[in-house]
Amino acid sequence: MKISERKNGEVVVFELAGELDFHTSPELREKMQVVSQKPGHRIIVNLKKVSYIDSSGLATFVEALQKAKRAGGKLVLTELAVSVKSVFEIAKLDKVFVLAASETEALSVTAA
Amino acid sequence: MDAEISWSIPADSSELAGVRARLRAILGSAGFDEKAVGEVLLAVDERLSNIIRHAYAGREGRIDLKVFFQPHQARVSIRDYGERFNPLKAPLPELPPKNPGGLGNFLTRALMDEVCYDETCTDGNLLHLIKYLKNKKPAG
Repeated sequence: MKISERKNGEVVVFELAGELDFHTSPELREKMQVVSQKPGHRIIVNLKKVSYIDSSGLATFVEALQKAKRAGGKLVLTELAVSVKSVFEIAKLDKVFVLAASETEALSVTAA
Repeated sequence: MDAEISWSIPADSSELAGVRARLRAILGSAGFDEKAVGEVLLAVDERLSNIIRHAYAGREGRIDLKVFFQPHQARVSIRDYGERFNPLKAPLPELPPKNPGGLGNFLTRALMDEVCYDETCTDGNLLHLIKYLKNKKPAG
């Protein structure tokens, strides 16, 4: 799993590449915790290059979303592959997260 | 024609990607479509993660995998020698989950056509995960 972090204006964008599972999710959890707990932070996670996710990956995002909301921030996921999006749908987490089709759409959602 | 493939791995999360890659190749060559392969991979991955996290709880251990093909189905049997626990007796989580965690056992059960826990296995756990080819239950 490759995790890169950049700024797009006031928004922190995480770009992930690889497979997100019980082995790789702790590193992402650690990095996202730092950002999601900061007051009012807006976060976009681009999953375009993520080919696989399991329940550990889902849990990482659920935890980050909770922390972001508590800190008055926002978290939007974008560019999910069909196979990854289907795992969110099975767990009905597509009703909990904003799943944007593009980073541009994600930016407009975080700005709203 | 029936066929069987068996191998063992250490109970270590670094093994998960390798198991998925191997299963993908095995199931793909057996005629399962991409969706079914993805479902089996995730179901098996969740079971292995559960064993590493709970049955062995960080201790060293071994996990045996056996993929058994029959004309209309594949069965993945997963054996460990850790603490006994029947995942079919665990309550299913509320969906969507309000808190992180607790989805692994649900995914294993939801994504397979049949899941059977072998109660006769007394020194650990033996779980059978069954997927029908093209999602059709064999006649009879």
